[in-house]
Amino acid sequence: MKVKRKKHLSWNVKCILCLAPSLLGTLAFFAAPFIRVVYYSLIDNQFRRNFVGFDNYMDTLTNKYFLLALKNSLLLIVICVPIVIILALIISLVLSYGIKWIRKTRAAFVLPLVIPTASIALIWHSVFASFDSVIPVYLLFIWKNTGICIVLLTAAFTAVDPALFEAARLDGAGTFTLHKKITVPIVMPTVFFVSLLTIVNSFKIFKEIYLYYGTNYPPDHSYTLQYYMNNNFLKLDYQSLATSAVLTSLLIFGIVMGGMALQKRYCQ
Amino acid sequence: MKKLIGIIFFLLSGVFLLPVAATVFFSFYSEGGFTADGYKDLLFDCFVFYPMFWNSVLYASAITLAQLPVVILCAFGFTWAKFRGKGILFIFYIILMMMPLQVTILPNYIGLRDMGLVNTPWGIILPMIFSPFGAVVMHQYMKNTDSSVIEAARLETSSIFRVILVSVIPQLRVCIFAVALFVFAECWNMVEQPMLFLTDKNLKTMSVFISEAGSYTGAVLFPSAVIFLIPVLLLYLFFSDSLEKGLTLGELS
Repeated sequence: MKVKRKKHLSWNVKCILCLAPSLLGTLAFFAAPFIRVVYYSLIDNQFRRNFVGFDNYMDTLTNKYFLLALKNSLLLIVICVPIVIILALIISLVLSYGIKWIRKTRAAFVLPLVIPTASIALIWHSVFASFDSVIPVYLLFIWKNTGICIVLLTAAFTAVDPALFEAARLDGAGTFTLHKKITVPIVMPTVFFVSLLTIVNSFKIFKEIYLYYGTNYPPDHSYTLQYYMNNNFLKLDYQSLATSAVLTSLLIFGIVMGGMALQKRYCQ
Repeated sequence: MKKLIGIIFFLLSGVFLLPVAATVFFSFYSEGGFTADGYKDLLFDCFVFYPMFWNSVLYASAITLAQLPVVILCAFGFTWAKFRGKGILFIFYIILMMMPLQVTILPNYIGLRDMGLVNTPWGIILPMIFSPFGAVVMHQYMKNTDSSVIEAARLETSSIFRVILVSVIPQLRVCIFAVALFVFAECWNMVEQPMLFLTDKNLKTMSVFISEAGSYTGAVLFPSAVIFLIPVLLLYLFFSDSLEKGLTLGELS
């Protein structure tokens, strides 16, 4: 008995050790740098290194470019994320339950996922260069990000067991009730996840805008949080960069935790 | 009705393909009409193009190949190890996956500088090996694989690597292809890292080349965009099936 227990323990230890490479890398390249960012956000500058409490945060939160960037980033979420999700839902519904030959079109919707932004920003630039508006950026975001949602959503739709449908249909359920009672609960977690992913991807939109405008100083309407951070990096303004980085990650942390709490609450 | 939906879908997929099609079209088009001169200029006269294209291939392949073992081991650990705080650790990975690059770009830069890795290929490759996306996706997939095969393999051998090689990897095939394709496309698409971490022109990538291609002689802009998307396009054609079956993410915790 004792021998068996020891063996079990060592298996578990081995499993834990499997995490080590990834953990070490994460620690070196993500966790430790993040702690450094927090530290930088609390000091006056990297030479004197005096703690100034939340002074940097007060400066950043009243900085007009930071507020502009924050507004633009949030606007992108509010406008684009629902469009992406609804578009992806409709497309994947039809792809999962529609006529057979329609399914062949799926590759066209997913393809943008792998197309490098640099290749596509050119055509965007030649077509939309004369428009002074943020709409081309939104279109680029929607074009690029609908694919991954479709992949994940169709996987969820096709995971619904057809036998369940048959059983429910025999019990006399109509198509609408069928989907409401069976499909929706099974697909809901994925819809949540996909929404979360798209929100988060909207925070990652930098190269799209950068390559589209080809400059570090885009028009006001396209100036996002990533730009604010990128430009402070180029200006070597460590404190502004660190502070906005901490604020951005707090925002994302809040969104992710909130999303997961919602998912727990409504999907069980 | 079905016909109508079919037609709408056909058109919609056309809209999604249009940007790629237009890029290819413009690569052959100049004021005079259709010509392959752009390609000629790019392939025979523009010698900056080759090192940068090669760099893109090198970085993306190296990162993808190095990331797979790390990710498979990590997902295996997350699925099979039992310890306190595993759930929280996984949530940490998810949050990390969602952070934009710019959040840690400064300390990353300082860290790489201290290690002497700025302006070397390692500065681009090393951090990307540990990007958490693959681990999260693969753990989600592994949760639903057949554990009895692993139990059986454990009776045969005590080496955990043998167990993974024999019983885990065959089950993960689709997911591995999907993650590899996704990671490769991500790395192929890198813009910020080569722009900020590399100063030597000979180390930069195709993304950077295209963003500056307007300044080179000849109409190399659109041809370079087309050549840049061909490798990922081919990979997509080969592995799109895995991509569709291997990526499943739903319930997170």
